[in-house]
Amino acid sequence: MPVVRIPTPLRPQAGGLDKIEAAGATVGEVLADLGRQHPAIQERLFDGAEIRRFVNVYVNNEDVRYLDDLDTPVGEKDEVSIIPAVAGG
Amino acid sequence: MPAPASTPAPDPLDRYSRQVRFPALGEDGQRALMNSRVTLCGCGALGTVLANHLARAGVGFIRVIDRDFIETHNLQRQILFDEQDVADNLPKAEAAARKLRKINSAIEIEAVVTDIDHTNALDLMGDADLILDGTDNFETRYLINDAAVKLGKPWIFGGVIGAEGQSMTIIPGETPCLRCVIETAPPPGMTPTCETAGVLGPAVAVIASFEAVEAIKVLAGKKEALNRDLIMVDLWDWTFRQLKISGLLGKVDCPCCKHRKFEWLEGEAGSHTTALCGRNAVQVASRRPEPLKFPEMAERLRPLGEVRHNAFMLRFAADGYEFTVFPDGRAIIKGTNDIAKAKTLYAQFVGA
Repeated sequence: MPVVRIPTPLRPQAGGLDKIEAAGATVGEVLADLGRQHPAIQERLFDGAEIRRFVNVYVNNEDVRYLDDLDTPVGEKDEVSIIPAVAGG
Repeated sequence: MPAPASTPAPDPLDRYSRQVRFPALGEDGQRALMNSRVTLCGCGALGTVLANHLARAGVGFIRVIDRDFIETHNLQRQILFDEQDVADNLPKAEAAARKLRKINSAIEIEAVVTDIDHTNALDLMGDADLILDGTDNFETRYLINDAAVKLGKPWIFGGVIGAEGQSMTIIPGETPCLRCVIETAPPPGMTPTCETAGVLGPAVAVIASFEAVEAIKVLAGKKEALNRDLIMVDLWDWTFRQLKISGLLGKVDCPCCKHRKFEWLEGEAGSHTTALCGRNAVQVASRRPEPLKFPEMAERLRPLGEVRHNAFMLRFAADGYEFTVFPDGRAIIKGTNDIAKAKTLYAQFVGA
């Protein structure tokens, strides 16, 4: 099953986990399953059906925006990462 | 009496001999560094490490810009400052310049104590070969991005929180710009800041050192060696990732580098901040695309003390200032008349 890597700021909404298995054949399906498992994450990631503009999603190390966005295919061994912008300094 | 033997003038390259011997840089690279100009935006944690590296490496001119003063809690990670600087109430840019001149008297350092905004950004960056991000907020970073893309100058982004950080190198026209990769900053309540989530000095030093090596490559004319990825490091979990972003160039409908609409530089986006006369308070107005989520903000701020909120405002106190935040992002910060200070507080406690 694909694995979703949860960034530090979202871990409180994910039971403290840094990796969660989620089912699906596309990025959209995988994130929807993640949202079903951890509803608090759903709202942080999505505004209705759209992914929030400040959330970047990668399959393995590729940004989905130059692939097929939420329709980007995800294989059983792929890793989906949610990458927030890091503000401090 | 024989005439005294004339001693040859010392070779200006001698002090840099150990990096000149690094073949990828070499003498030509070193001479390029010595003839180059850098604008450093922000001289806090990232900025002091960056300035330290570049001054020692012999970058010919470094303009150090910062809007803030030094406080004791900065010393944990802001490596150019010491307790005396705090006692002397020195602005960060001035204290850094004094230290950098002691480190390397062969280069020129310019200290600028100001808030970088749309009125001065092009002046401060226009004569630089490279712009460096030592800031702690996305408002200034989007302004830097606008200015760099408009001027066609390279800049290097860095951000740190806790033990993790990100960095990317932006060459307008050749790489995606900041807005291609990070379309919009997370709204307050969704993003931790160094004040709420903490930050480790070594983590800042790692990210700033990535930026500094990239800076040396750009200035020395070694563009072929530049990093083209978004670098992500977590030094606590020990993960290091290189996220591929080059495919975003031209693919995303970027208002900045594709449409050349410079919203921060034109003053359309970002904060409109004014001192509230006679109230010892400053209003920081930051336009938000969506209303703030007060319950989440309150939860994030709870470690600082009591946070009260209703549908119309959220109020808390931190560092002796009282913050009143409105759903549209506007905030009134009581306890100061200093606009730059209020903007710093806003970035620290409300969010970038």
